Amino acid sequence: MQNAIKVKPKLSEMARREERWAWLFIAAPFVGFLCFMAYPIVFAVFASFSRWTGMNSLTGNLVGLANYADILTDPKFWKSMVTTIIYMIGIPIGMFLGLVIAMALNRMKYTKRFFTTVYYVPVVSSLVAVSILWAWVFNYDYGLFNTVIKALTGTHGPNWLGDEVWVKVAMIIFMTWKGLGGSIILYLAGLQNIPRDYYEAAKIDGANGWQLFRHITIPLISPVTFYILITSLIGGFQVFVEVQVMTGNGGTNYSAATIVYYLYDKAFGNNQLGYGCAVAVLLAVIIFIITALNFKGQDKWVNTMD
Amino acid sequence: MKLKRVVAAALVALMGVSSLTGCNVAKDSEKSSDASSKTEMKGEGQDEIDILIYAQEHEKAAYEDLIKKFTQEHKDKIKKVNFEVTTQDEYATKMTAAMTAGDLPDIFYVGPDSVRSYVDNGYVLPLDDYVDQKVVDNLWPEIKSAYQYDGTKVGSGSLYCLPKDLSCFAFAYNKDLFDEAGLDYPDPQKPYTYDEFLDVCKKLTKDKDGDGEIDQWGVANANAFGMTPYLYSNGARFLNEDYTKVNITDNKKLKDAFQYYVDLTAKEGVTPTVEQDTALGGYQRWLDGQIGFYACGTWDVAAFMDKKTFPYNWDLCGWPVGPDGDGKSTTWLGTVGFAVNKDTKYPDLCTELISSLSTDLDGQKALSGETTGKSMQIPNIKDYATTTFKEKVKDGTIPYANNLDVIFGYVEGNDKYQGIFSESTYTYNAEWWDTFLEGIPNVQSGKISVDDYFKEVEPKMQDALDNAIKLQNTATKN
Repeated sequence: MQNAIKVKPKLSEMARREERWAWLFIAAPFVGFLCFMAYPIVFAVFASFSRWTGMNSLTGNLVGLANYADILTDPKFWKSMVTTIIYMIGIPIGMFLGLVIAMALNRMKYTKRFFTTVYYVPVVSSLVAVSILWAWVFNYDYGLFNTVIKALTGTHGPNWLGDEVWVKVAMIIFMTWKGLGGSIILYLAGLQNIPRDYYEAAKIDGANGWQLFRHITIPLISPVTFYILITSLIGGFQVFVEVQVMTGNGGTNYSAATIVYYLYDKAFGNNQLGYGCAVAVLLAVIIFIITALNFKGQDKWVNTMD
Repeated sequence: MKLKRVVAAALVALMGVSSLTGCNVAKDSEKSSDASSKTEMKGEGQDEIDILIYAQEHEKAAYEDLIKKFTQEHKDKIKKVNFEVTTQDEYATKMTAAMTAGDLPDIFYVGPDSVRSYVDNGYVLPLDDYVDQKVVDNLWPEIKSAYQYDGTKVGSGSLYCLPKDLSCFAFAYNKDLFDEAGLDYPDPQKPYTYDEFLDVCKKLTKDKDGDGEIDQWGVANANAFGMTPYLYSNGARFLNEDYTKVNITDNKKLKDAFQYYVDLTAKEGVTPTVEQDTALGGYQRWLDGQIGFYACGTWDVAAFMDKKTFPYNWDLCGWPVGPDGDGKSTTWLGTVGFAVNKDTKYPDLCTELISSLSTDLDGQKALSGETTGKSMQIPNIKDYATTTFKEKVKDGTIPYANNLDVIFGYVEGNDKYQGIFSESTYTYNAEWWDTFLEGIPNVQSGKISVDDYFKEVEPKMQDALDNAIKLQNTATKN
């Protein structure tokens, strides 16, 4: 067989016609990708090497890596980067809560659907609308939180959105709430995929509840955990709307601003479009590296059933 | 398996890269996309004109009427006028997108702060050869010069815009609260000194319902807009004369004035606290009758005169005057202008249309309140503003505050009042100014002293200003 020459099988007329159609179907999304992803990406990378303002000449203002050098020495960049990472504290919290709630729901027979829907409502709601709603929940004088805190403790609650520290807590609470429904649905699906017999076999061998959870549930839902982790990290780097809606101008002393908010502020607030593109490129590189590291590390803890 | 994983990683990375293509920013526009509206006016001719501006509802209605009228009068030429109105927040983003795509509308707004960039890069048409000199002569001289540019300096040279308005940020007081406290009304001929103002504010700050918490304050200030009048009225400025250096730490006039300003909140407690202000802004509290003094832009008058919005008696007065200035109460002026795309196919028609939007008498009567009862701006036509408009205010046809002369004082300037354009009007962007604003709440809540704050923020402001100058000097499209 080694020397056999691979002969391309001759296609029938019908097969060829089908192939032509196949190309057409493939072309549609590919052209879309070229226009709406590839071109803007290439353009953004190119623009990131210029002091383009959106108004002036793009090619006449190429400055090489100057924007990148400026970014790395800009304290506001680092401040918003740190804030973005702090907000990610919400990711493990959300995953933990999501798993706990999913396990509880998994035991319910009749009300599972109802509660799943309830938890999923924030996910399908407009982010802008719920951000406005939560700005009121966090309101210093009239908000739900501070009203409850006053009723329970008699003291006035914190200035959730105005204080440099509390605004971060507020954002983490909001993002956790917003993302919870998604993790619950995914975990629920993951839990339902675990064959019953594993648990039964372990029980016969005398495993207790914790052992079942630790050695069967956790490993077998690890692909779901991995998926949630990756998507939340990527989403976490792209937080923008809630900051824009809930705080004025990035919060007191820019304390609530994220990387993407900083990007927007630079590009559209101060006409530094070339600079904004450089921030975007940098952000994409960071996301790429973190994602790659995650994929590399998954062998250590992600189990697949096959 | 390995290949699969690489493909998976690549796909996920692609999701990450989508941050490059503006997907996030696109989400933001959901918020206000419904606030943008398009109207078409049709004629029988060939020419098609696109207009993009931002406006509030009343303004939009007035401009729609004007454009309809214009389309009727020129229906032999005009095929269609596409009139798009967006929000002020969205406007800059939309214009940037339009410029990048090479798809600018025929008529759009340009502010005095960006005349230079628009002209340098060849986006706007010089109006000198198109607009009737009579129209130009009848504009307020203050606004005309804001739209003149000679290639190096704003203030003289060709005219590039016809003003949509000339506004000023005056001061107002709630008469009912003065009556309750048994205080004399402020004298519009003689604005308060810093000390007098603080004294009156203290008398207006009280706990009305006796629950131990202050619920009425002398004054409320929004830092972004309502702070500079206090500072300017003490002769203070942030930048040097050619707008290249930030000068705040060695600037006694500014330091004293800013100290006075933050002390209104931090030390004297005559404004709501920083926390209270985040809970409910000064504007809302003023409308609720909790505030003695509050800013009143020329565009606010209609709302304040509407008893359903503001059920109190009120009048205009001057911002308090500091001891180290020239003794004049000083506030900032605002304006935005109609510009015509340099590459428009219909320069004659477009300039004629913006002349009518800017100075058509019926349009000005509607916008300043004579025919609508809602005054959104003072009239652009100086003759009309200083004669009929004033009379109509006096005889009650136009609902307006009695002390209308305060506004004219700021706009025209006299020995007690003056109006100036804020300093960020003259810099390429306002990042240096935003940088100063960001930390003010911490000074107002006493977390940092004025001295320390100035020291901390000055280098950051200078960096931002240097950046702006760099951008201003980048290579242009021409």
